[in-house]
Amino acid sequence: MYSYKTGIEQIDQLSGGFEAGTNILILAPPMSYADQLAYALTKPVTGEYAIILSTNERAAEVVDFFKVAGSDKRFIGVIDAITKSSTPSIVDTPRLKFVSSPTDLTGIGIKFSNIIEAIFEGEFSDGEAGLFPPPIRFCVNSVSTLLMYRKLEVLYQFLHVLTAKLKKIEGVGIYILNSESFDDKTLSLIKQLMNCVIEIKIDQDISYLRIQGIRGINSNWQKFSVNKGQVTILP
Amino acid sequence: MISTGMNSVDDMLGGGIPQGGRVLYSMEPGVNGQLFMVSSLCRALAQNLSCLVILPGTTVEAYRHDLLTMKTGFIDLSSDKIVFIDAIDRERIQKSSPGPDSAQLEWKARIAKVCGERKIDVIFAYFDLLSEEFGIECGLDILEQGDDVLKPTLILEHLNLEGEPLISRFIHDFSFDVVISIKSSFKPLPHFDYFTLVHTPGSPQPVRSVPFVTAEGRIIPYIPRIVVTGPAQSGKSTFVTSASIEGMPVDRVGLDGDLTTESMDLGMLQSKGFDITIYGTPGQPRFDLLIPGMLKHTMGVILMVDATKPQLLPQAKEMIGLLAEHSVPMVIAANKNDLPGTMEEKDIRAALGIKADIPIFFISATRKDDVRHVVESLVNSITQIPY
Repeated sequence: MYSYKTGIEQIDQLSGGFEAGTNILILAPPMSYADQLAYALTKPVTGEYAIILSTNERAAEVVDFFKVAGSDKRFIGVIDAITKSSTPSIVDTPRLKFVSSPTDLTGIGIKFSNIIEAIFEGEFSDGEAGLFPPPIRFCVNSVSTLLMYRKLEVLYQFLHVLTAKLKKIEGVGIYILNSESFDDKTLSLIKQLMNCVIEIKIDQDISYLRIQGIRGINSNWQKFSVNKGQVTILP
Repeated sequence: MISTGMNSVDDMLGGGIPQGGRVLYSMEPGVNGQLFMVSSLCRALAQNLSCLVILPGTTVEAYRHDLLTMKTGFIDLSSDKIVFIDAIDRERIQKSSPGPDSAQLEWKARIAKVCGERKIDVIFAYFDLLSEEFGIECGLDILEQGDDVLKPTLILEHLNLEGEPLISRFIHDFSFDVVISIKSSFKPLPHFDYFTLVHTPGSPQPVRSVPFVTAEGRIIPYIPRIVVTGPAQSGKSTFVTSASIEGMPVDRVGLDGDLTTESMDLGMLQSKGFDITIYGTPGQPRFDLLIPGMLKHTMGVILMVDATKPQLLPQAKEMIGLLAEHSVPMVIAANKNDLPGTMEEKDIRAALGIKADIPIFFISATRKDDVRHVVESLVNSITQIPY
């Protein structure tokens, strides 16, 4: 089975990375650079593809992050759920898709399927071939925003379908959820859909992460930093 | 009757949607089925019906651009035959209503006002946010307008995250007249979309599932592979040629001087509103190894036998054994019935070992009407297979 490298040396050496079909929840307080960590874990290595559902940043900003991090933008797809509300005439491209708002779960589901189909049919990367079957990293930035627009029960069902699809195509999913804005019931329900949880905390301006759900990786708090899409565990 | 905008669906509904009826397009997440609702809207406008479109999740402007990208052709959204209640109206209602009860009343009042002033014939509602905000029952109550005589037809699109139980509720608890479920599947093809007529008005009909593709702004029911197979010289190439509007037989002269197929025949045809690709297998035994591969993703099989040559039926029977592994609909075409010495149906059934549920058609593959009849029968069977 395919393993997705995390780019974090200590984790990749011990566990080989994320197993195909893993869904990872990043549980983080605001202003803790959770999106930086999520994008770093979503960054595709050569031959892989990445899809980002963005409810917080415009597609161009998302693509910029990955370009700065050294990714080939031909392997990055974005579903942008914010630009269309201010620019209704914006048109989809093969790799950038737009839905009217984060409420539009129908549109999000369709654009996700469109991108997956294009990847499988080899029509995604301007003729550049990736691996086959294609390894796909999928990031939702963020579940918190989706929860502001749709009820928990509805979003749970929707994410249930998405996570199941990702398992079927042997991708990995990375989902960001604000740990301070939602009650325990919400956190617990969303966690049920995941096989791995990465918690983040900030203490005296130092970022810490704690990983639960990857065999062989200790679940203690560890200092970390993210720079240009590279995560480093600090001593 | 109001047309759905899809001729093949109208046929299956016995002409279309009954005036004043309730229709649900139930979409599985990720399936590209938005054209169903849009097709119905386009046709309603073409029929000069007054339409109210309720878009709680998007603005008219964004919707207009979505329609343009779907390439549905020109829809004049500024026409006096169409009126919208969109996300901006929803926001206003939310802001002006102190609670859900008053919001519900405000929605109902707005819709009633529009329906009264504009004499609305059809309400098209994107139902997800209304059902989430008020529940399905109250959401439907908001949309319920007019008395029994002047009731507008109601057409909903809904993202179905709950599966069959939700569909059942729409049929049994909320008395929907037509329910079309739009889904995708990985079998028998790697990926294809299909719709199922789960519930139709009037007498109960078998549940029918129809694969489709979307192209040029319309829903095209599509059968990507029907295979015509059978022993050599049974008339497969002639059948494919007669069935096709375009195609290519690949016959060469065999050792016996007759034409024989040296790879496979390929044809495109249309039947009962479907676009169909049809493949004819080569009949020579040395090509038998190719046949399992061709059958792999087929959605239906026509087995050709020469009704004048009983000595070839054992080979056809072997092929039936091969086909049985694939569990796809099959019909038998007993060819050359225009020649003397045609066997009787019971003899063919006995020789092939098939029961009455597999139909046999006595045809001449040179006659297009005969061929069309066989294809239509197979299409009928394919649409009754649950995926």
